[in-house]
Amino acid sequence: MADTVESSSGATYGESPERQNRLQRYRDLRFSEEELAVILLTPVVSFLLAVSFYPIFDTVVGSLHTGYVLEINPQEFVGLENYRDLYGSGPLLDQFLNGDGFWNALRVSLIYTFVSVPIELVLGLGLALLLNREFKGKYFAQAAILFPWAIPTVINARIWAWMFNGQYGVINDLLIRVGILQQPFPFLAKPDTALYAMLFITIWKTSSFMALILLAGLQSIPDHLYEAARMDGASRIRQFWDITLPLLKPTLLVALIFRTLPAFQAFGLPFGLTGGGPASATTTLVLFDHQLTFNRLNFGEGAATATIITLIALAIAMVYVGTLYEPEVR
Amino acid sequence: MSYDSNTLEVERFQWVGKKVGFYGSIFIIALVSVFPILWMFITSLKQPGNVVTFPVEYIPRNPTLANYRAAIEGAPFFRYLLNSAIVATGTAVLDVLLGSLAGYALSRLRFRFKLPVLLLILGTAMLPFIARLIPLFSLARSWGLLNNYLGLIIPYAAFQLPFAVWIFQAYFKELPDSLEEAGLMDGLSRIGVLFRIILPVSAPAMATAAIIVFIYAWNEFLFALTFMTEDSMRTITVGIALYQGEFQYPWGTISAAVFMSVIPLILFMLFFQRKVVEGLTATGKA
Repeated sequence: MADTVESSSGATYGESPERQNRLQRYRDLRFSEEELAVILLTPVVSFLLAVSFYPIFDTVVGSLHTGYVLEINPQEFVGLENYRDLYGSGPLLDQFLNGDGFWNALRVSLIYTFVSVPIELVLGLGLALLLNREFKGKYFAQAAILFPWAIPTVINARIWAWMFNGQYGVINDLLIRVGILQQPFPFLAKPDTALYAMLFITIWKTSSFMALILLAGLQSIPDHLYEAARMDGASRIRQFWDITLPLLKPTLLVALIFRTLPAFQAFGLPFGLTGGGPASATTTLVLFDHQLTFNRLNFGEGAATATIITLIALAIAMVYVGTLYEPEVR
Repeated sequence: MSYDSNTLEVERFQWVGKKVGFYGSIFIIALVSVFPILWMFITSLKQPGNVVTFPVEYIPRNPTLANYRAAIEGAPFFRYLLNSAIVATGTAVLDVLLGSLAGYALSRLRFRFKLPVLLLILGTAMLPFIARLIPLFSLARSWGLLNNYLGLIIPYAAFQLPFAVWIFQAYFKELPDSLEEAGLMDGLSRIGVLFRIILPVSAPAMATAAIIVFIYAWNEFLFALTFMTEDSMRTITVGIALYQGEFQYPWGTISAAVFMSVIPLILFMLFFQRKVVEGLTATGKA
């Protein structure tokens, strides 16, 4: 069968070597490197333009309209009105510190992000240092330590909601047993402690992820540096500050980027833990946006909030990338 | 003499102390890491009447599987698991396919505008999901992709594609040039080189990318909650999160449901732990 096809296309056995070569070269030249790159990248780039960039553009446009998406009301251009409604009224600083609605969600998200990520980084570094050596049972220890990261965030939230339960929760029971509490405390029902509980849970869940990223960085530091330092009589602590930390800096920055953006977009944890309560104390920006859009069907303000989230996320990314590239330029 | 043996004693004591301290801290950290799941398991075995007691019962008296029966009867858990498996597998396959092609072009072909293209692809990883939710929702609705596996597979694949591309291009960069040269000398076209030589040796990168993408798709909540409005199409993550029993807060049943949903993850972690670690470290090595 194959023979017939070949002979019909002219490339039969009796062909001269020159012609064979010419055909071969033709086949090679059929795609230049650049053409092949275009062929391989076009599906990916157009896919991303359609599924990632177009929606952002659409959201920005939507934030300038009312009745967006639902099609029940005709879309009406309202300029920056959605943003004005989110802003409320009052001086900027006052709104930032005390405003409710959008401002409250912004505060919760900023606290959540910039408290949890540094703590995760420090704990993750400690874990990574601990795991950065060979020992018996390392495989199981590593699997156990990595486990919190693999549990879906929202399911994790349900688990901890049960453990933090104000009447029957195991955490209350343990705290009473060790004498810290006298009677059960409703952690998730008080505005202050609910946010702390949420921070605790996310730190518990994400430190192991940090540890793994940092572990890769630790393993790339050559041993002979430590040997040389030991010969010079440098203590372990000295070695850590003078060798480990400086050489780990690029990895630390990568870990920061990897964690800060998802933390700023926290949704599943408050959704499953508290639903954003009590009194919006755990309503993050994305949860606020989700409630605005799907509970109150205010698509215009929802799109405006999403646009602001995008701008803040891009600003965070730019700050980090700027810091990240500096050491490489030098 | 006695001084010498004393220091030896002290050193030995310190050595034992260090070992105990090290294994002790590893044990405590591991325990803290698995305790919540352990607690779900303990709760799920309790007699319904013993779930809400205080002080808390640490070892279930008369353990029972009643909670598991209630959980399975209360919601289509196996259907949820199937939905999650289909969505996560589809996403992983699509990302391995697209990611390997793009990763190859970006790491081993010379062409103009390479850096801008790379930045464009990686930059999409920075865009917030919530800002893509509503437009994609209305697109999915007008194309009939709500309550359809593709409705989740397509956005998930796009969201994780930057990571897949990154993993593949990092892997391909390390391959020796001689591999391609040999293929070209043997008369393969460039596409032939890609499919016959490069892709067959990239199984490690494929496994890494597939696992990272799979876990993401399995765990995602925001889009799964919004795009699957029919109960029978929900993923396990959403199914558990929205689970309401017949009575308010049936913690015993929820514990059973959570524990069942986590069993695949436990097995996954034990079998693929090394791959997961390699994958994470690969993404960390910028």
